[in-house]
Amino acid sequence: MQSVMRGYIRSVDAVNYRLGRVMMYGIFVLMGILLWSSISKTFFLPTLWTLEMAQFVMVGYYILGGPYSLQLGSNVRMDLLYGSWSVRRKAWFDAITVLFLIFYLCVLIYGAVSSTAYSLGYWKDAPFSFLAGVVTGTEEVGTLERSSSSWRPYLWPIKVVMIVGFVLMLLQCISELFKDILRLKGAEI
Amino acid sequence: QEAIKWRFQTYAGSALGEHVTKPVIDYINTAANGELEVELFYADQIVPTGELFQALQRGTIDGVHSDDDSMASPTPLQQFGGYFPFATKHILDVPVLFNQYGLKEIWEEEYAKVGVKWLSAAGQDPCNFNTTKEITSVADLDGLRLYTFPTAGRFLTQFGVVPVNIPYEDAEVAVQTGELDGMAWSGITEDYTVGWADVTDYFLTNNISGAWIGSWFVNEERWADLPEHLKAIVMAATEAGHTYRNQWYWGGEAALRANGDKLQLRSVPANEWAEVENAAKAFWEEVAQEGEVHQKIVNIFKEYNAVINQAGAPYNFE
Amino acid sequence: MPYEMIATLMFSTMMLMLLTGQRVFGAIGFVAVVAALLLWGDKGGYDIGFAAAMKLMKWYPLLTLPMFIFMGYVLSESKIADDLYKMFHVWMGGLRGGLAIGTIGLMVLISAMNGLSVAGMAIGATIALPELLKRGYDKRMVTGVIQAGSSLGILVPPSVVLVLYAMIARQPVGQLWLAGVIPGLMMAALFILYITIRCWKNPELGPALNPQERDLPMAEKLRLLRAGLLPLMIFAVMMVPFVNGWTSLVESSAIGAITAFMAAVFKGRMTREVFENSVRNTLGITCMFMWIILAALAFGAVFDGLGAVKAIESLFTERLGLNPWVILILMQLSFILMGTFLDDTAMLVIVAPLYVPLVGALGFDLIWYGILYTITCQIAYMTPPFGYNLFLMRAMAPPEISIQDIYRSIGPFVLVMVGALILVMVFPQLALWLPNYVYGN
Ligand code: NA
Ligand code: NA
Repeated sequence: MQSVMRGYIRSVDAVNYRLGRVMMYGIFVLMGILLWSSISKTFFLPTLWTLEMAQFVMVGYYILGGPYSLQLGSNVRMDLLYGSWSVRRKAWFDAITVLFLIFYLCVLIYGAVSSTAYSLGYWKDAPFSFLAGVVTGTEEVGTLERSSSSWRPYLWPIKVVMIVGFVLMLLQCISELFKDILRLKGAEI
Repeated sequence: QEAIKWRFQTYAGSALGEHVTKPVIDYINTAANGELEVELFYADQIVPTGELFQALQRGTIDGVHSDDDSMASPTPLQQFGGYFPFATKHILDVPVLFNQYGLKEIWEEEYAKVGVKWLSAAGQDPCNFNTTKEITSVADLDGLRLYTFPTAGRFLTQFGVVPVNIPYEDAEVAVQTGELDGMAWSGITEDYTVGWADVTDYFLTNNISGAWIGSWFVNEERWADLPEHLKAIVMAATEAGHTYRNQWYWGGEAALRANGDKLQLRSVPANEWAEVENAAKAFWEEVAQEGEVHQKIVNIFKEYNAVINQAGAPYNFE
Repeated sequence: MPYEMIATLMFSTMMLMLLTGQRVFGAIGFVAVVAALLLWGDKGGYDIGFAAAMKLMKWYPLLTLPMFIFMGYVLSESKIADDLYKMFHVWMGGLRGGLAIGTIGLMVLISAMNGLSVAGMAIGATIALPELLKRGYDKRMVTGVIQAGSSLGILVPPSVVLVLYAMIARQPVGQLWLAGVIPGLMMAALFILYITIRCWKNPELGPALNPQERDLPMAEKLRLLRAGLLPLMIFAVMMVPFVNGWTSLVESSAIGAITAFMAAVFKGRMTREVFENSVRNTLGITCMFMWIILAALAFGAVFDGLGAVKAIESLFTERLGLNPWVILILMQLSFILMGTFLDDTAMLVIVAPLYVPLVGALGFDLIWYGILYTITCQIAYMTPPFGYNLFLMRAMAPPEISIQDIYRSIGPFVLVMVGALILVMVFPQLALWLPNYVYGN
């Protein structure tokens, strides 16, 4: 059991670490887009896509970078009590309270999946099986949702990015849970 | 017995919603005598306007006031709501098109297909421009970053306009942070009501459409569950709201152009603006090619415009 | 269940969850989605959480967040603010408490370049703090100086907090920023006054530098003044195109970040390590902010859906029948109270939409109120148990500064800030004169 947990932690952490390391350079992509936006506006015609593209990049940056930020411990906690607890007590509390966080992420994933299904033209109440059907080819996509700008990009790609990010965040939280369980068992991580 | 409760969200921010949506909600709440209680929310309050339609289908929101374009309607009607370029000349054209020329039946049918109850459509203000930069010729549109409707924006790009899409309530601040040079979104009444007149300097009297087409929608199940007498109240309230807006806009546009002191009026000569009108004709043909329903609606617009052009002033501007 | 009760329940559950030490965004997000599911059930209660993500995507001013954070880390990690600090060192060092006064001056300059307090904190903790400690300054006082000084970042323009406030209150950003100038400088002056009095009474808190350290030839002293050119340049490169309407706010913030980056490169300070730290920390801090706002937007939407605005309005005006000023003071007190527990962006997203319309309805000026709100946020940044500056200080401070030191250091500065808050309340012209003067012409 412990080795299964360790294996899970190793692989999930590795995936999220690599993804986060890539996403962190997104800041330069964002700068590039905004710089191009101001240059094109000043010297040529303003571009249609820059603001929206910057928004998409920002979504990728903070949602796909989220799991890595959990690894870095960047997400603040109120440590009025927490700060003075022992490692063991922290692990106990975290092992329980992380379940709340996991619940929140599950609801986010549900919302993201149904919104993605909608962006592929499906609006009834079985979005998961619809998406699965689209992937396996048994379901047809309908009217594709476009952004209401005049650039009119399709919205499903960014929504898929969000699903991926939320799912990886969920996997990272489970990894944190396993780490706490191992800590409580006094085992090595 | 327990009151039926609805959450209702409008496309409008609170300042404008006060006039375009709230009177209807107040009417329903008073007339329903506690049997139906509708709570009103303004633009983006519960869900962002872009997600409004899904929220309505699922029942996160029970009722909506919006145009088909802003709420990203997943029907072929999407481009025709809001401002379809030069489809109408005056606010009353809209009810005529719906009730006498057959748009009503098309709207009912298309929304039934996607599981939403469409109640009624009405006209509002024309689509003029209010900007920080002066516009006196069509060439001045070149390079302007404007807050506008998706379809209007697509139409205007051929004149060099850069349409920018942001939440309604953020538009005023966006003019100040330099994201926008102004709006092609409304008539002058709305400019004054929501504060855009405070951040822009010029108002262009030429429009790209004479009246906004907007609708009232309800979640299909919630509507089916509603007793007949309450349905009658909702419909009566909606109609009363249309009547109120007809006067509010018609009077407001005239009074603020004549007496408003925040925006200076500018005009492009009519013969030059004809270039934009002609571009709209090409745009209509393009859209008509997109499908059967599109074709049908464009034909109705053509039919009606033929009639009012023959009728002469005041139906058209000649 | 009456709405007020649900609202109270939501708030208290959130507080309780925060106390367990779970990550802030998790606590807020959990309460938000559970409340949505309980209240709205399968009728779509589950899309509130995700709808917030779509709303957040469209909130374009937040694009400035990573830019300002990155600029802050580049400036502090590359130590290019070193010279700047040396300038204050030489020019002010002779006074009692002069280095602490110089640190406030440094913070004002940083504030004019950056829209958050992160930059000031990072620079203060890495550059000023070690110097101050080495020179025998009282560790509690200087810890407070840096926390308080860096909080000016959100009051002196540019300010991200004021932009977010502008969007919620629908007030002009330009006027809000100008409104922050005089209160910001006044607050800096009050800090300086406090430091001067303390050190004058008790020279051991901030001993004057010995002459060898600062007696440089005049030419050298003047050369050091050139260090002040860097912030001036960044400020100009960012604000001139913005004020002239050539670039938008987010574009300007990107230009500011790029300028800081290029400056570090040209000065040969952009080492691998500096680069790595700046880029990584920017991701971490941006993620922290964004995930909290994501959760808070969902919380705010549920709160809104409950009709909490009306509940609060009727509570204050009808049921309690209070005088507008009493209501205003109560609101500020509740903000300060909440600010000790809650993150300021979360506070802004959750509570400001409730309060701002009420403030307007009571007939108060919303630009002025924006400044009151921002000063309250500054206080919230520093007050335990929850405050970004506290967290950052803990993360960055050298080991000889304990948590107790950090907690105790803020006391006097919070009092000064409350004093400034009262001054701005009593004399609204402190905030309103400059925007009226500039926009009146
Ligand atoms: Na600032
Ligand atoms: Na605090």
